[in-house]
Amino acid sequence: MLNPEYPNFEKNTLDDLDLVLFEPIKKINIRGKKKEFFTKVGKILSIILPIEPNTSSSNQQFNALWLSPDEWLVYFNEENNNVYNNLFNEISRLNFGSIVDVSNQWICINIKGKKTFDLLSSGSPFNFNNFKNTKNSVTQTLLNHTDVIIHHTEINEINLFVRRSFSEDLWLWIKDSARFI
Amino acid sequence: MFIINCPYCGERDQSEFSCGGEAHIIRPKQPTELNDDQWAEYLFMRKNIKGVQFERWNHAHGCRKWFNLVRDTSNDKIHAVYKMGEKPPVI
Repeated sequence: MLNPEYPNFEKNTLDDLDLVLFEPIKKINIRGKKKEFFTKVGKILSIILPIEPNTSSSNQQFNALWLSPDEWLVYFNEENNNVYNNLFNEISRLNFGSIVDVSNQWICINIKGKKTFDLLSSGSPFNFNNFKNTKNSVTQTLLNHTDVIIHHTEINEINLFVRRSFSEDLWLWIKDSARFI
Repeated sequence: MFIINCPYCGERDQSEFSCGGEAHIIRPKQPTELNDDQWAEYLFMRKNIKGVQFERWNHAHGCRKWFNLVRDTSNDKIHAVYKMGEKPPVI
């Protein structure tokens, strides 16, 4: 049984690093290739899904992250509750694509500070040299052997998505590693 | 360790990928007409050569897409990467 209170990490301020659990937010995994799919998503979210690999697009309400050529992760504040229903009814029901609410599957950790990318580099095989200079870039990679999605929102600030069941382990690793960078 | 140029995501470390074995193995059109040896040949036997080999790889910790790769197994030099369904390059 899912415990909605888990995880409940306390905000941490370490040397040049702020770590905070960025919840609750709504996360929707959307997949599709058809022309109608892109039209409907654009209409409902008022956003053009990023086609270019490792990029994202945002407006005031929504963030859409490129995951693969036919897959995106959209996240936004919980307040827009009808968005999921609208997407599901307009796309999934009509077989234009797939809409899955993954809010409980992934959690979002916000990491901010000058040493953000030093921390990530210490546990990831990904080369952050170009990534850290490009706002709105996205990558899926490994961090301490855990699958993560990283969204570069502002310079030296990222939203890190990790599976809920791995989150505590990763959170402890981040706190521990941050002491040594 | 080596770098693989995923046709969808770009250059990534090998640890993000998993190898799916030899590529371009064609499934027999009439499996029921094969004897056990022929079926086993299709199902299990792989070349596993020392040298240039055509392989399937999956970007398991990235875009999760499958693609083909031409790799020299003796020194891990990658000669070509191409998407599923594309014609294999002449090496």
